[in-house]
Amino acid sequence: MKPGDRGYKRSWKNLLINKRYQLRFTLFMVGLSALLMVGLGAWVMSVADETTAVSKTSLRGDACPRLPAVGATPAGAEDEPALPAPSMKLDEPDGSAAAPAPGSAAPAANPVTPGSAAAPAADNVPRDATRGGVNRPALPGVGGRESPPEIDRHVKVQIDESSMTLTPTLPPDFADRVTAHWACELRQAATYERLERGRLRILWAMIATGIALVIGLALYGIKMTHRVAGPLFKVGLYLHKMRDGRFDKVYNLRKGDQLVDFYDQFKAAHGGIVAMQQDDIARIARVIAAADAAGLGQHPAVAELRELSARKEKSIE
Amino acid sequence: MSDPTAATGLPSPVPRSRHQRKLSNYLLDKNLQLRYILLVTLLSAVISGALGYMIYDQSRLASESIERDLQVLTVGDTSRQEFTSILAGKDQALVYEMVGLGLGLVVILSAYLVIMTHKVAGPLFKVSTYFEQMAEGRLGVVTPLRRGDMLQDFFGEFKAMHESLRARAQADVAALERATTALRDARGEADAAGRGKLDDALTALDQHVAGRKKQLA
Repeated sequence: MKPGDRGYKRSWKNLLINKRYQLRFTLFMVGLSALLMVGLGAWVMSVADETTAVSKTSLRGDACPRLPAVGATPAGAEDEPALPAPSMKLDEPDGSAAAPAPGSAAPAANPVTPGSAAAPAADNVPRDATRGGVNRPALPGVGGRESPPEIDRHVKVQIDESSMTLTPTLPPDFADRVTAHWACELRQAATYERLERGRLRILWAMIATGIALVIGLALYGIKMTHRVAGPLFKVGLYLHKMRDGRFDKVYNLRKGDQLVDFYDQFKAAHGGIVAMQQDDIARIARVIAAADAAGLGQHPAVAELRELSARKEKSIE
Repeated sequence: MSDPTAATGLPSPVPRSRHQRKLSNYLLDKNLQLRYILLVTLLSAVISGALGYMIYDQSRLASESIERDLQVLTVGDTSRQEFTSILAGKDQALVYEMVGLGLGLVVILSAYLVIMTHKVAGPLFKVSTYFEQMAEGRLGVVTPLRRGDMLQDFFGEFKAMHESLRARAQADVAALERATTALRDARGEADAAGRGKLDDALTALDQHVAGRKKQLA
């Protein structure tokens, strides 16, 4: 330790030496930073939300290849249910009637629509597969206004000697198409998740940055203002002493303190005042000596000078 | 910045001016003020850079997905190039916006810090000017700080000390004057041998008192 140093050490308890100055400075800075971060965060999140929404919408538009149905129609036919082609001719009835859907179970042998006035099918003819083999009587005539006859709801199944062999046939690229479907689905889900994760990452980064900025600036502000407030506090103590007429020795600042130049100027000022006192003492001493030599040592004015000199000497001890 | 020497009563080469802030004086203590500003600038740059990178990344993802869609929709179409360049331009604009916001953050915080630190450096500058005068033994009149300055408490302590010193110095001068007058009056009672020496000492004290008065003016 240098001769001019005293054991003043930093302590967290003394961080707020000059509360008014330190808190005013720091809180203003923190408040402004928080305000700017909120504004920046709102803008960043609006952009992030927008870009994420665009990406998600785009992703939704990318349809994955469908899963092929087992034992269904050839490849590509199962992608969309076949819709009847609309008729281009005005005088033609609806295409549904004109062109039965391919692959439907409508009987080609009986093109007459139900409910028409055409002759009903004979009872001994096997029933339409669409009706589940239910033996239904024919529907009444035009308009169907007459009360319907009682429907026999029991199924009469007559099994003749027959055999049925079920041999599921899979298309040759079945496995590839299933794989492609699920790979696409998983890829999309991953991209979806990645997008959402990116958005959340920005949000959390914003929150974390905001909190870190506020706390960091608060701590930094208090620490830095303390380095200013510390020397000021010390100078303040000396100012109190000087006000009371005591001009003690001035010690050095702690390591790391700011305002070193300012403190040096204070020391010079202190030294100047001390020099003034010493000069006064010297002048008074000469007058007292001369008065003593002239036999006026007991004069009240000399006594007053002695008192003044003693006070000044005491002040610079 | 104010000129505290103008308030001391000492002969001043320049006329006394109003205490006003000047833009050129905002960096009074460069070391103190620039240290804060540099840190805040770096902090703002890091924050803006990190956020800018993240948001650009997200925007780039959106642009890529749109470009993918466009590839399907505009096969053999020249408009794809146009759309792609528009998307790239939007991404670029986002980068510029982020840079602009970062710069704005830096400028606002730096300007704020310059003003705030100036409000600290200003009073310190004023007090240090008085310190310089005190070092020369001059104890003039202390003028108050400007409105909005910080460290008002500290300046109050300084002013109290300065006024106390000044009052004490004035009292000392008065005491010395009284003593000089009294001893001159009592000169007749003094020994003839010591009279000359006493006269010299009193003359020197007179000069000293005159000097002190000048310093206290």
